[in-house]
Amino acid sequence: MTFFIVVLRGLLRRPVRTGLTLVGISIGIGAVVALVGMSRGFESSWTAGMKSRGTDIVVNSMGSSLTPKPFPASVRDRITQLPGIAATSTLLVELMGIENSEMMIVSAREWGGFAWDNLKVISGRLPHDAAERAVVLGTTAAEMLHKKVGDPLQIETEELSVVGIVDGGAVVENGAVILSLSLLQEIMGTAGKINIIDVRVKPGTDETAMRRLCDEITQRIPEARAEAAGEHIRSSQGYRIINAMSWGTSLLAVLVGVLGVMNTMLMTVFERKQEISILLAIGWRRSRIVRLILWESALLGFFGGVVGVILGVVGMQVLERTPAIRGLLQPDLSPSLMALAVAIAVVVGILSGLYPAWRSSRLHPGAALQG
Amino acid sequence: MSPAAPDRSHDKKAPVFEARGLKKEYDDGQVQALRGVDFQIFGGEFVAITGPSGCGKTTLLQLLGALDQPSAGTLTYRGTSLAVMPDLAAYRAREIGFIFQAFHLLPTFTAEENVQMPMFETGRPISERRERAATLLKSVGLEHRLRHFPSKLSGGERQRVAIARSLANGPGVLLADEPTGNLDSENAHAILDLLSRLHEEQAMTLVLVTHDMTVARRASRAIQMHDGRVVFDGDPAQLPTISAI
Repeated sequence: MTFFIVVLRGLLRRPVRTGLTLVGISIGIGAVVALVGMSRGFESSWTAGMKSRGTDIVVNSMGSSLTPKPFPASVRDRITQLPGIAATSTLLVELMGIENSEMMIVSAREWGGFAWDNLKVISGRLPHDAAERAVVLGTTAAEMLHKKVGDPLQIETEELSVVGIVDGGAVVENGAVILSLSLLQEIMGTAGKINIIDVRVKPGTDETAMRRLCDEITQRIPEARAEAAGEHIRSSQGYRIINAMSWGTSLLAVLVGVLGVMNTMLMTVFERKQEISILLAIGWRRSRIVRLILWESALLGFFGGVVGVILGVVGMQVLERTPAIRGLLQPDLSPSLMALAVAIAVVVGILSGLYPAWRSSRLHPGAALQG
Repeated sequence: MSPAAPDRSHDKKAPVFEARGLKKEYDDGQVQALRGVDFQIFGGEFVAITGPSGCGKTTLLQLLGALDQPSAGTLTYRGTSLAVMPDLAAYRAREIGFIFQAFHLLPTFTAEENVQMPMFETGRPISERRERAATLLKSVGLEHRLRHFPSKLSGGERQRVAIARSLANGPGVLLADEPTGNLDSENAHAILDLLSRLHEEQAMTLVLVTHDMTVARRASRAIQMHDGRVVFDGDPAQLPTISAI
């Protein structure tokens, strides 16, 4: 019999209570995985969208909202001649309700810009020109809107025609309604306004040169900020708020788990007072008793973490399919997040076990003779 | 058959335990469990500590096992005061074997696992622990009950497991607190026979607390206590009855 078996038997002594505690901690950890996975997924999905369009630097003005603030399209002229820039493409990206869908990405792209290049036509075609009153739909967007080539699509007050279904190579691209920039500007009454400039740098530009270029662009366009693709999401105030709320909510759930584990371990120590006294009487050191309790609570945390990760993954997959989220992001199911969640659970377990362990170490071996 | 008996011939030359003016008080002196006890216990002795309930015999056993500290006086083990002994856990693990009236087996562990428990502090490898536990259980006649949980054992069997556990680390001293108190007379006799045999075969020092005169008379020496004091120390055959004290 190993010490680990002794630890395990301690947990299995009261299987129902251990199970309920596991449920408590796993809900907390499930919340961490689901909420943080969603917010990280938001970041990684939008970054993937940028990469898919071949964007190296994004120029925009991310305030506290999830979409950037508009600025005049003419500002692009201030940077096109900068050495190191290979191409630019202007966009107006909005999150808006389209027909029965509450929130969709509407991505209007400068006609002829490189942002159209990544779109692989699955059926139909791309618009003939910037003036054609037509849209193409990403594959997921077409499914969500139940549209096929030839169907009409209502954007604000304008009825457009779906001329193609495309694969954009990323979740946010496939979840988008894509049309020409001038058409959306006309529909929304925002002529001459854009909110993103996608920048491609010349091949061979290293990270340092890219940062220098970003600084230079930001200097020339004080209305916006240039950042490497992906970083712009992380630095956006809106994303930070979402991220902080995700962590805040999940940590509250974890705190409930902490209290659950602490309560269980305290009950365990109180119930096993005599058993602990016997172990002390037969020669166990107090340090071994402390280790026993800490291992039990750590193991409780570990199992809670593993169950929580499973719950979180299932939860994310359910959320991913909800109309409000679908097509906007792909949850982060990375092993690093799973490992982080389990590590949090183990740390939570250990921290929750500290007080009960200390209490157990204060028990008196003489109590073994009193019953 | 018991495990090989260690050589304990040196024990007989010097006292294993020596108590001088031993006192134990509880509740800020309101309860005086021991009121100045003096005795010596030598290696290989079978000593019965007897007396009526509340006379202090279990308190004395607690002090001998370093489960508690005296309020005054000195108690030495092989010449070293327990009060200054640096590692009491090691003392309890290696020098002393405890047998309790209520057996005190851990309910979620099998007989074999219960016997292995004290061996965790000795650093024996797992295979050796398992092997020794099996040998010890065989020595108390329970080789067929290794994988049984305490709830599946009779009272006598449980006490045998507890005895095997007390022998786990080959202690020189066994301290038994009313080991037959929870057993019927048949099992009580069997347990006393077993303890006597172990005492003889392994030349162990056996200190047994009992209020039962019949049990006390099985010992080679009896210490009778009354009201926290030693009132008789000698041949168990000469033990006075309680009413005569």
